[in-house]
Amino acid sequence: MKKYFALVGMLFVQQYKSRAAIKLNNKKKRGGTAVLYVLLAVCFAPLAISVAVGIYFLGKLFGANAYMGSFLLLICQGLVLMFGIHAIISNVFVVKDADKLLCLPVRAHVIILAKFTVAYLNELITTFVSVVFLLLPFGIGAGAGVGFYLTLPFALFLIPLLPLLVGTIIAMPFSALIAAIGKNSVLRTILRILIYVAMMALYMYAMYSLGFFTGANSGNFFENPEVYIRDLTQDMEERLRGVMPYFHPDYMLMSSMVATSFGDWAAGFFAALGENAMLIALLFAVSLPFCRRILAMSVEDGSARRKKTVGAYKLKNRSVVREFMRVDFKRTVGDAQVGFQSFAGITVMPVIVVMLYFVLGLSNNGNASFLEVMSISPLYQAIAPMVILAYMAFIGCSTNVLGLYPVSRENKSLCILKSLPVPFGKILLAKVLLATAVMLVSDFLSCLLIVVLFGVKWYYGAAMLAVMALVGFGSMCVTTLLDLKEPHLGWDNFNQGLKNAKKSWAAMLVAFLCVAALCVCSVPFIVLYALFDGWYYLLLMWVLDMGLGVAYSAVAYKVMNGKASKYFERIEV
Amino acid sequence: MIRLYNVSKTYAKASQKAVDGLTLEIKDGEIFGFLGPNGAGKSTTIKMITGILTPDSGTIEINGVNLAENPIAAKSLVGFVPDNHEVYETLKGVEYLNFIGAMYGVPSAALKEKIDEYASLFEMKNALSDMIGSYSHGMKQKLSVIAALVHEPKVWILDEPLTGLDPQSAFQLKRLMRAQADKGNTVFFSSHVIDVVEKVCDRIGIINHGKLVAVDTLDNIRADGKVSLESLFLTITADGE
Repeated sequence: MKKYFALVGMLFVQQYKSRAAIKLNNKKKRGGTAVLYVLLAVCFAPLAISVAVGIYFLGKLFGANAYMGSFLLLICQGLVLMFGIHAIISNVFVVKDADKLLCLPVRAHVIILAKFTVAYLNELITTFVSVVFLLLPFGIGAGAGVGFYLTLPFALFLIPLLPLLVGTIIAMPFSALIAAIGKNSVLRTILRILIYVAMMALYMYAMYSLGFFTGANSGNFFENPEVYIRDLTQDMEERLRGVMPYFHPDYMLMSSMVATSFGDWAAGFFAALGENAMLIALLFAVSLPFCRRILAMSVEDGSARRKKTVGAYKLKNRSVVREFMRVDFKRTVGDAQVGFQSFAGITVMPVIVVMLYFVLGLSNNGNASFLEVMSISPLYQAIAPMVILAYMAFIGCSTNVLGLYPVSRENKSLCILKSLPVPFGKILLAKVLLATAVMLVSDFLSCLLIVVLFGVKWYYGAAMLAVMALVGFGSMCVTTLLDLKEPHLGWDNFNQGLKNAKKSWAAMLVAFLCVAALCVCSVPFIVLYALFDGWYYLLLMWVLDMGLGVAYSAVAYKVMNGKASKYFERIEV
Repeated sequence: MIRLYNVSKTYAKASQKAVDGLTLEIKDGEIFGFLGPNGAGKSTTIKMITGILTPDSGTIEINGVNLAENPIAAKSLVGFVPDNHEVYETLKGVEYLNFIGAMYGVPSAALKEKIDEYASLFEMKNALSDMIGSYSHGMKQKLSVIAALVHEPKVWILDEPLTGLDPQSAFQLKRLMRAQADKGNTVFFSSHVIDVVEKVCDRIGIINHGKLVAVDTLDNIRADGKVSLESLFLTITADGE
């Protein structure tokens, strides 16, 4: 046990530790961080509060209902799984420290147990957030008793167990498949992204099939809201009653949380404990027989199967920026740790567009869908592209790992860059261009889907793409500078390096400010268009947005370039 | 030529100076061996000469070019073989060399010629089309050596270059170092293998606790001419412990 705890402590601390040292004025650093957090809190509080308020009213609607409560538990677990599956893979299955661990005088199963524990501890962070914003407001809204709040801390520790088991069951064959593919790094990264998309689709399908998005079978909300809501509630409860008992540990846990007598509480609570203990046993039964193989897979991943080829090769003269972009792309796409993280973001926005289409485009008992109603409006072509543009900027900037961690992902190789006789501004430009290009792939797909599914005119789609290219470039300059200022280097697990970094939050803030500026500048033109119905107002709006984009990207690039050398020199590797 | 004048460096996370007031000049056509116990400041000095770290004070010149004032020109004169073999593992060997060639502005034809020459010398030709991730430690080291030479540097800096090399490759590397020096280039290398330093170097420097404690030809350092470099090294570096 001593070795196990020592391993857990080492692994947990290791993933949050940076080996890079930067000479900074500490007071300035703390001040900047505090300002960032305050700004973030101001910007994201409305979103977080609206989710919590929505769940509060759900609680009011359903009361202390074990089916709805356990459904919320399941949503928490879905979120933990979505955000945690790749943490499990990178913590347990594709690790860079396997060679260091395998030579220790510790049994392989102790190492695997320690790794699962660290994955579990990381999942607790996501669980805590979901408990605060989903379960707690539900309990308050439902008027739950003391038992609910007393059991909530236990729920926090039990919720991640099911995602950990499911994640492991998915990750084991998946990792074996990845290993079997061999050194085809592009195929491996594509496979990872496909699995990620499949997981998101599965999650959305599950929510959709439970009637979460489709609404009740009865009439129109505006005709008789009370009846509509009553029918909706009954319909959902009926569906959940049929489904939730299959997720028995969750159902028993929630039964105990909403129990009105000690007997019911005890029965539910101990049943949930027992069932979760069985989940842990199942997790170990599934993974322990293969534990040494799992660790060996990580070691063999980088060293095995060198193919015998005869040394015929071609060399090409390229510009420094082009060659750097090419090499950076190849390195990233082939890296087991970084590849998935860097390119999975491409899929997020197109998936959200499709999801929005399903949510807004579904007709209800032959009535016109919300999308159909909206698209008839003359203002649709003016407002819809702006709203989706805001989403694209927000999601695109905050999920683009290539642009968020351009320096951190260099890890120990940063010393190669520092020794090259190339101005660092050029290297950063190559990184920003690569990140923008990858983001544009996602934006192109999103715009295409918006034109096809949402009926937005193609020239507005093209204008959106142009604005996004400019906004994306500018934002990538800002996020690149942020990473350069305080990179996270020396990691063994890139995924965990991201989790505790505030850069993705900062990127959201950057995107939020961009979107806010664009929207504020566009509103007068939309108002003029609504009043006077002149197409040239929209033309002017898009021209102005593009102008703003050009100005933003030029200023951002100038600032980044101006500070690049100073920040770069401060990094000690 | 490499010239360091009163160079000092303290790491952000450390309280003591890693390098303390180092003044040193290495002439053209010279092989200079840099010795010191672990943590003495060898790698820090090398990282400062190659531009990876910025000194807190002092100046560094490469062939008369001030590294702080003109880093790009200074770096382009240097070929560097690092000790950690952090080459880009998901690239093929030839892709990495092409990348290095592009960064140093080497034309394709000249690059191909150099790659062919050095790859044949180190028996790496057949491995260049393979992923670097599949290379052994020694092969990565050889690739680093080739990458450091393709642009024909005036100053060649090697940090623990013999680690992991097979005897044939180690022999070839020592020959290459001598050939570079004979061409009038400067070779600066750090090593723990005292025998090699003794046989290959024209001059040696010993660093301890960040300070240069001895620098001269081996014969001049050995007062009576009979003491081995090993005992001399142990005596000099034991004082500060």
